[in-house]
Amino acid sequence: MRVSDRLTVWCRRIAVMTRKELLQLFRDIPLMAFLIYSFTLSVYVTGNGIQTQLKNAGLLVSDADRSVSSRELISRFHSPYFRFDGELAHPNEGFVRLDRGGSMMVLDIPTRFHEALVSGESTAVQLLVDTTNSPQGLSAAGYAARIVGQFSQELIMTRNGQTGSSSTTVPMILSDHRVWFNQDQNETWFESISHLLRMITIFAVLLPAAALVREKERGTVEQLLVSPLTPAQIMLPKVVAMTLVILGATAVALFGVMLPVFGVPIRGSVSLLFLLTALFIVATAGIGVFASTVTKNQAQVGMMTLLVVAPMLLLSGIFTPLETMPAWVRYLMALSPLRYFIEIATGILLKGIGLEMLWSQALSMLALGVSLFGFGMWRFRRQFR
Amino acid sequence: MQQHYGPSIHSSSTQSSVLSPQPSDTIVNVSGFVKRYKKHMAVDGIDLEIRKGEIYGLIGPDGAGKSSLMKAIAGVLTYDEGTVEVFGTLVDSERAAERVKERIGFLPQGLGLNLYPDLSVEENIDFFARLRLVPEQQLTERKTRLLAMTRLDKYRDRAMKNLSGGMKQKLGLICTLIHEPELAILDEPTTGVDPVSRRDFWAILAELLLEKGMTALVSTAYMDEASRFHRLSFLSGGKVLASGTPAEVQMLAPGSMVTFEATPQLDAIARLKIRYKQVEALGPLLHVFTDDTDPAAAMQSITSSLGIIKPMQLRVNEPELEDVFVALLLRQGEQPTAIEMPPAAPVTSNGTLAIEAKDLIRDFGTFRAVDRVSFQVKPGEIFGLLGANGAGKTTVIKMLNGIMPPTGGEGWVAGADMKTAGGAIKERIGYMSQAFSLYLDLTVVENIRLFAGIYGLDANATDQRLKWIVSMAGLKGYESSLTGRLPMGVRQRLALGCALVHQPRVLFLDEPTSGVDPIGRRHFWDILSRLAREEGVAILVTTHYMSEAEHCDHLALMYAGRIVAEGSPVDMKRQVEKEAGQLLEVATDQPGPALRRVTQAGFVGAALFGTKLHLLSLDPSQDEARLRTALSSDGVQVQDVLIRPLSLEDVFVYRVLVVERQEQATVKGAAA
Repeated sequence: MRVSDRLTVWCRRIAVMTRKELLQLFRDIPLMAFLIYSFTLSVYVTGNGIQTQLKNAGLLVSDADRSVSSRELISRFHSPYFRFDGELAHPNEGFVRLDRGGSMMVLDIPTRFHEALVSGESTAVQLLVDTTNSPQGLSAAGYAARIVGQFSQELIMTRNGQTGSSSTTVPMILSDHRVWFNQDQNETWFESISHLLRMITIFAVLLPAAALVREKERGTVEQLLVSPLTPAQIMLPKVVAMTLVILGATAVALFGVMLPVFGVPIRGSVSLLFLLTALFIVATAGIGVFASTVTKNQAQVGMMTLLVVAPMLLLSGIFTPLETMPAWVRYLMALSPLRYFIEIATGILLKGIGLEMLWSQALSMLALGVSLFGFGMWRFRRQFR
Repeated sequence: MQQHYGPSIHSSSTQSSVLSPQPSDTIVNVSGFVKRYKKHMAVDGIDLEIRKGEIYGLIGPDGAGKSSLMKAIAGVLTYDEGTVEVFGTLVDSERAAERVKERIGFLPQGLGLNLYPDLSVEENIDFFARLRLVPEQQLTERKTRLLAMTRLDKYRDRAMKNLSGGMKQKLGLICTLIHEPELAILDEPTTGVDPVSRRDFWAILAELLLEKGMTALVSTAYMDEASRFHRLSFLSGGKVLASGTPAEVQMLAPGSMVTFEATPQLDAIARLKIRYKQVEALGPLLHVFTDDTDPAAAMQSITSSLGIIKPMQLRVNEPELEDVFVALLLRQGEQPTAIEMPPAAPVTSNGTLAIEAKDLIRDFGTFRAVDRVSFQVKPGEIFGLLGANGAGKTTVIKMLNGIMPPTGGEGWVAGADMKTAGGAIKERIGYMSQAFSLYLDLTVVENIRLFAGIYGLDANATDQRLKWIVSMAGLKGYESSLTGRLPMGVRQRLALGCALVHQPRVLFLDEPTSGVDPIGRRHFWDILSRLAREEGVAILVTTHYMSEAEHCDHLALMYAGRIVAEGSPVDMKRQVEKEAGQLLEVATDQPGPALRRVTQAGFVGAALFGTKLHLLSLDPSQDEARLRTALSSDGVQVQDVLIRPLSLEDVFVYRVLVVERQEQATVKGAAA
């Protein structure tokens, strides 16, 4: 057989197998429904719903003073950060209400609060904060400290200068900050992008793994093994088909939800983004191929995916920055393609940078992809020996 | 006298409204039973009556409605119309079902599906016994006895998942019967089980029935097991086609089976098909079912329709129940799809062998799965590799297909060395596995095109082969149906078509016809024999379904990785007849006591076969006399003694038992 003939046959095999994968996927109605939901509605809900900023923290007040000053202080805890949940009849009730949940904080103002302030004495208020959800709790405590501090500073200034415009008499440093890349500090941008990355990761592992294990489960892989197909010709079409499908879904999420609804900007090159997304999917698919070689059926593959993908998602830097993690986790995450892809995706979308700055991440992902894929392939060949 | 339905043909859902006072020994009474799954009608009006102490059989292909009916009787499935009475209780609600469940043992379909794979044999039995609140002492007694009967006592501590298929099924039977139910409902207990375990299975069941007065309802897809039942119903498409005792059912399609050799075989078949609906090629033999009951008339009519072709070795037998079922199905209007096999490519066999295996060995660790296996297959030959699960058949095929390297030995397939030219072999062979290995979520045409692409056919060649496959396999009208919705028989022919898409010279079939109805199966074998005879394709079939093996030109029987017997079906039968004798079938009025008496009288290997006794005899006339005296001294009346032709299953069981005995002897010899 001539080389060109061999090439034709090779391409024909890849083409028919890819077509088969696509047909099978499109006819798997539950899976398709899950896929469509994940890249549309779920992106919208997550982008809108997840808030890390303080919002609507329930505040209970035990005001033993009932004075002008106490009312002034209470009034400064206002929406959207705080929600006034009412006054307590007795200070001890505060513990009960915190135990029961619903409210997050109890502000306890002592008697003689106003009297002390007027007479120039020091006084204190007590704030009980429920930090079960620690980021929210800590941030509420921080806000509260700032409110009380501000109030106290104003009292000092009024007392010193009587007018309030006497910043000259007191030495002060004002900190002024300017935010970049997301000037409105619009949280929906970051949340929807990270959700999209999560979904891409999950499907990049799950789809090829499920497709391969389904062949094992139904016995069709036997038929493929006795045919002249090589292991690469069996596996590659699955990855090609799944990559196409996930890229399509990504486009839907990006141009159908994130751009029109949330106004997420695409500051860099769209084609570069999709090219590197494809590379990411192929690299991650290597993990899926491996998962399919150590499992026997689709249920096991589902569990395996959860086991591998959950730490990847949690530790790759979407939820919390990599820098905050212990050193060993950071080294481990060097093996996660997602760790690099986060920087690539946010870099292209929000910062508008290109390969000139992202080449090291892209190269790392490529190297990782080749090794993961190679390892998956090796396992795939081996399991039928 | 009991109420008696007698033979009857139920043409549709006509309810025989026999709701007269029931005899006290009726265990199960089903009437007008209908079960639908959404729009699909699974069972369409069935009447059935099971009496105390009998083995009642439900026979039919996959999807005939057997499982639905059995589950409803076991009280685990609701139904849409009709009544189901078990032990006189109308089972129409969960509470009613709970009342009868205690007295029922139910073995669901599937090898060992009701068992726990990680528990040992003993733990499984204990679990089921305690679930049924069997007192510990009785449990110990029954367990010891049942384990001994099933020859599983050596494996008490082995985890269930490490048992062979036959052993799993025997364990399933023990667990179903450990609480000594009055009614055992066994759903396809012998499917996928090797002949020796199958025979064990029937022997155990027969013995327990006799001893405990148990009743059993058993379903099977194997037509040749029909004669093991006391009474039976033949189901097809959710309806009863025939019911009664085997003899009564046989009367429904009177006729005879004419067997002969005729060359050229294909011409003979073409001539016979004009007049007869049932013409089958079994190796060199032809089987024809005629309506003539008189042997001489049957022979006469066959000879005249053959014209100038002279039949040789003409014999006339009583038809088997399977032939009767096929006749009934055909009468129902089911026509076998006509095969139009387009003209064949000229046979280019140059006398070389299609497959040659020479001293093949394969080890898995210290376990030798295949031990010096040698055989040859000529172009145009159908070669059968027989053996139980785990005998090494699949390993041999995997080595020959080039997907598993051998530990030792050599092999050539379609002119290529399997050690060095695995790739070339894969391009030249067709392979069809027991699962039919089709993509169920693709349509018929999509499946064909997929395999055409895999084998590298271009657009032109693909279109041509597509047409050929559709007409060869009778797939017209199914082209754009999803494969998962096809009946099993059609699916099987599609799988065959896909395996033939690149016109291979060698075809491997791994257990190809499980779950297919009898007409579908005959159609399938028609295609295979034409492929072999007309196109010179060499076909290697593995099977543990013995009536399938009859179709082969040459057989090799594998046991524990070795070939222990080889030859044509006729030769193998002749050889066993020479060594062990002919098969005697004894009909008596009291089968149970008769079996005991006959075994005492020194007839080794006598077994119950339905209501009749089967035994091998080297000297039939003398043995018959001995039998009659022994039995009549016990007051058992002998109704009939017949010499029956040996089946391949008899051959298989005989051969395997001989080897097992030899092995035990050597083990004992080594120990001493």
